[in-house]
Amino acid sequence: MEEKVLEILEEHCEEALDYDGDSMMEDGVIDSFTVINVVSDLEDEFDIEIDAKYVIAENFRNKEAIIELVRKLLEE
Amino acid sequence: MKDDTVFQKLVIIGYGKITGEIITYAIEKQKEYGYQLEVIEHEVHSFSITEKLCMEHGIPFARIEDKKELTACLDSFSERTLIVSASNNFLFPKKLVEKENLTIINFHNALLPAYPGRNAPSWVIFTGEKETGITWHYVTAGVDEGNIIIQKRCEIGADTKAYELAERLMTLAYEAFVECFDAVLKEQADAREQGFDAGRRMYRSYEVPADGFFEMAEEPEYIYRLLRSLDYGKNGIFPPAQTVVDGKRAEILRYRKVVGSENREADSFLFLPLGADNLLKIKYRLL
Repeated sequence: MEEKVLEILEEHCEEALDYDGDSMMEDGVIDSFTVINVVSDLEDEFDIEIDAKYVIAENFRNKEAIIELVRKLLEE
Repeated sequence: MKDDTVFQKLVIIGYGKITGEIITYAIEKQKEYGYQLEVIEHEVHSFSITEKLCMEHGIPFARIEDKKELTACLDSFSERTLIVSASNNFLFPKKLVEKENLTIINFHNALLPAYPGRNAPSWVIFTGEKETGITWHYVTAGVDEGNIIIQKRCEIGADTKAYELAERLMTLAYEAFVECFDAVLKEQADAREQGFDAGRRMYRSYEVPADGFFEMAEEPEYIYRLLRSLDYGKNGIFPPAQTVVDGKRAEILRYRKVVGSENREADSFLFLPLGADNLLKIKYRLL
């Protein structure tokens, strides 16, 4: 699963893979439009629904947070 | 030496990417023109970085969601002020627009006089336009009626979704802003009247293309266009599209154009032929 998430991130925002901070949005690594694309691909890849309540800066602060979000949704 | 502008104050209202870019540009230009710079965020967005940017540069920032409060704030300015409405849905009331010390410019995400009002990227996709663009215009008491300062055009691709188009238009809007900002500050912008018909359609915030509903019998190309026109990701600008599957109301969770021509069957998925080589794959949930 992690590998797939990273592949999706790489496709839309390669910089996110090397980012080691905790606020990709504030640090200008990712923007809201990129988030839409990432969410869309994650939903398709894992056949999950990512509710709008999860699409917040906190869950997209770095790649680990995104992986954690997907893991949580897959377990639901 | 300061360049010549009549404006003592510059106020930027908005949120998101374009507002951030305009703030950054206005900071650069502040050295040239010497205006005071302030930023107001009227709508809160979970990914907005406007406040952080202002803090970093020591620019006064206020978040004012209440319309009356915002009106009172803008009404309190006594100096010559240029208000830049960047990504902003606040409608400036007549009493503000008519104040002699205020000049307001607004970015609209369509080629005015076409598609005035809200959610223009959605309407241009839904109606099948091949081209759209952006307009910076002076704000008057009528919605999106003021004189045009500058416009830029772009094509609408066959697969373009509303959020993709919105992003493209914001990029264009920033480019156009940079082109016209000096002229606006010097009150030398060559603005032209829109010249629209009295009965032109105004797109309201509560209007949704096709009321967000399609029949399965409709052309897949039409359905695809509708779904793309409603697609702002999770931003909740429109409710999910709906249709009827096996006599039951269903909402569309997601969709995608995929390669292939054979009909496939899968739970909670619809596959509609889209041209000769593609399928429109739609995931739905019964209500």
